[in-house]
Amino acid sequence: MALSPRVATPSSEFRHTMQNLLSAYFPIAVFIVIAAGVSAAMLGGSLLAGRQKPYAEKNSAYECGFDAFDDARRRFDVRFYLVAILFIIFDLEVAFLFPWAISLGRIGLFGFWSMLGFLGVLTVGFIYEWRKGALDWE
Amino acid sequence: MEQFFFHTVAGLVVLTVLECLAILVPLLMAVAYLVYGERKVLGAIQLRKGPNTVGPFGLFQTFADAIKMLTKETVIPSGANRALYLLAPFLTFVLAMIAWAVIPTNNGWAIANINVGVLYLFAVSSLGVYGILIAGWASNSKYAFLGGLRSAAQMVSYEVSLGLVIVSILLVVGSLNLNDIILAQRHVWFCLPMLPMFVIFFISALAETNRAPFDLPEGESELVAGFFVEYSSLAFGLFFLGEYMNMILMSAMTSILFLGGWLAPFNIAPFTWVPGPIWLILKILFVLFMFIWVRATFPRYRYDQLMRLGWKVFLPFSLVWMVLTAGFLMATGMLPVGSANGVG
Amino acid sequence: MITQITFYLFATILVLCAGMVVSARNPVHAVLFLILGFFNAAGLFLIAGAEFLAMILVIVYVGAVAVLFLFVVMMLDVNFNQLREGLQRYAPVGAAIGVALLAELIFTVGRLKLVPGVQEPTLPGPQISNTEALGRLIYTDYVLLFQACGLVLLVAMIGAIVLTLRDRPSARRQNISLQHARLPADTMEMMQLEVGAGTDALGGFIRPRDGYGATAEPIDARALPARRSDEKLGA
Repeated sequence: MALSPRVATPSSEFRHTMQNLLSAYFPIAVFIVIAAGVSAAMLGGSLLAGRQKPYAEKNSAYECGFDAFDDARRRFDVRFYLVAILFIIFDLEVAFLFPWAISLGRIGLFGFWSMLGFLGVLTVGFIYEWRKGALDWE
Repeated sequence: MEQFFFHTVAGLVVLTVLECLAILVPLLMAVAYLVYGERKVLGAIQLRKGPNTVGPFGLFQTFADAIKMLTKETVIPSGANRALYLLAPFLTFVLAMIAWAVIPTNNGWAIANINVGVLYLFAVSSLGVYGILIAGWASNSKYAFLGGLRSAAQMVSYEVSLGLVIVSILLVVGSLNLNDIILAQRHVWFCLPMLPMFVIFFISALAETNRAPFDLPEGESELVAGFFVEYSSLAFGLFFLGEYMNMILMSAMTSILFLGGWLAPFNIAPFTWVPGPIWLILKILFVLFMFIWVRATFPRYRYDQLMRLGWKVFLPFSLVWMVLTAGFLMATGMLPVGSANGVG
Repeated sequence: MITQITFYLFATILVLCAGMVVSARNPVHAVLFLILGFFNAAGLFLIAGAEFLAMILVIVYVGAVAVLFLFVVMMLDVNFNQLREGLQRYAPVGAAIGVALLAELIFTVGRLKLVPGVQEPTLPGPQISNTEALGRLIYTDYVLLFQACGLVLLVAMIGAIVLTLRDRPSARRQNISLQHARLPADTMEMMQLEVGAGTDALGGFIRPRDGYGATAEPIDARALPARRSDEKLGA
């Protein structure tokens, strides 16, 4: 096991771009703070301005005039769960497509076929779920 | 003066704050008048007058509504999780606003002209699920819960095709920067060569913003109001305003990706006299009108049809179109090499 | 200077969030703290100059993975106290993973190498964006790993379907091509009736002639009750 020290010191040029990168994102941070301030002011303003007179009936959950029969948080159709999983998979696929789309001009035909192979594998999965009826709702 | 604004830290902060307000204040006004405009357009389509009492032509209607909402009681259901219950509308509204930080309003004019502008927009729009999901769960009401889950499944289903549409545009542009995307449309707007993607993007945008005909999460007739059934006062108002702000955002995205953003339709004299931001606003207004028009025209989709459209029609179609675009660009050697500004 | 301050800010919040994820009583709160943690990790990526990774972290982990987590904790009302009791059993596995991660951290921080001769990753020049630099590497130099990712995703997709898909025999699905191919004559029958006469004299009318089942196809026809089209409603 050879333990040799690393010799990677970021060039000053790289440091410079990093600084630029952070300053490019600084306005977004300011924007988020202002947006949060506006929302909080609106929410807080209505809490202060409106007369709060809560009582049990007013505060009960709406269920067409009945008292709620049971807790609303309950087991639910597993299909929603399946949709979420399939979404993760396709979202990752899209995430892989972004850098590919940007650099396709440079990576040429090999990069093109490499992505086509990747998409082909996922298409097999897509056809499988289609045939299995995972995309059907009834 | 110039010394202060451009060369000191405090000056830069003040400048940035002013820039942000220059976007946010018109945006909030635009939301108020979008609500009014929608009611007027719907009224015209249905041969009614729409709001016409408060102020001349009812122009102050939205402000009257806002004041009414402000003075109403904020009802928090006894079974609800108080912190999360209030967090949900807050989150929805903040997310609807912060996306605007990267929208370019003229050549190089954006509060934050970041390299990965498209990804930022995509990321922010993918977070919109949370406000709805949290609202549905925190209310501890069956209708809200059902509406929240439906809405979350719907939004994620259409996000994939939205992503694929964006990727096929990136193939042509070769950069993630929004300004570069607009500059790449100097010769022809992308809505012409990529008409099918434009249609898919617009319909997916309807589904992402929970607008008619995809307003199932609200579904008055079955779910009474969906995820915000328990909300009152401005807590409800924030959901409402957030939805309209998201509509404007999606219209802006459509304009930038497909309609050339701040570019004039033809690069000749009378059109180029009009400044870029005006063109952008006109395009946004056009797409917004389409949103309202669609609402007035189409009945609501059924849930299984909605899922079928998203997963079985849009997803495969946009995937195939994306691959075809890549293949076409590859074969004709039209792929962009490197990016327009050097830093892409 | 400002970079350092932002780094420590993000890092502190990240560690606090991670602590809250483990210790929060309400599982929904735990997931929300996890999301806050993801945001801070994205901030750290930004400081490191990896803006593409920062955005993808938000898109994939916050926008997709955490949504699934929220779905699970909201929908499956798992008894989390029961899960807590299983802690003792899973502790050794968790500890092993923790030790492996710690070792990796030590190697990175101490700048040690296990295998000699490994090329240092070269930093992309400032004229190439982060995303493009990644794109030039993933699909060419690391093509095998990239294809392996595809296979992993395929396995995940098939696994999810095998584990969760349950056919309900009573469910009916819409067959759109059949619906479109349907003609009015298949389902509707026009009869000329005398005034005062019923349909009985003409043999009663059958509704619908072909049955509703033709367009909404049942998954398993045997599980359904006998079709209504056999019954003469007029009789």
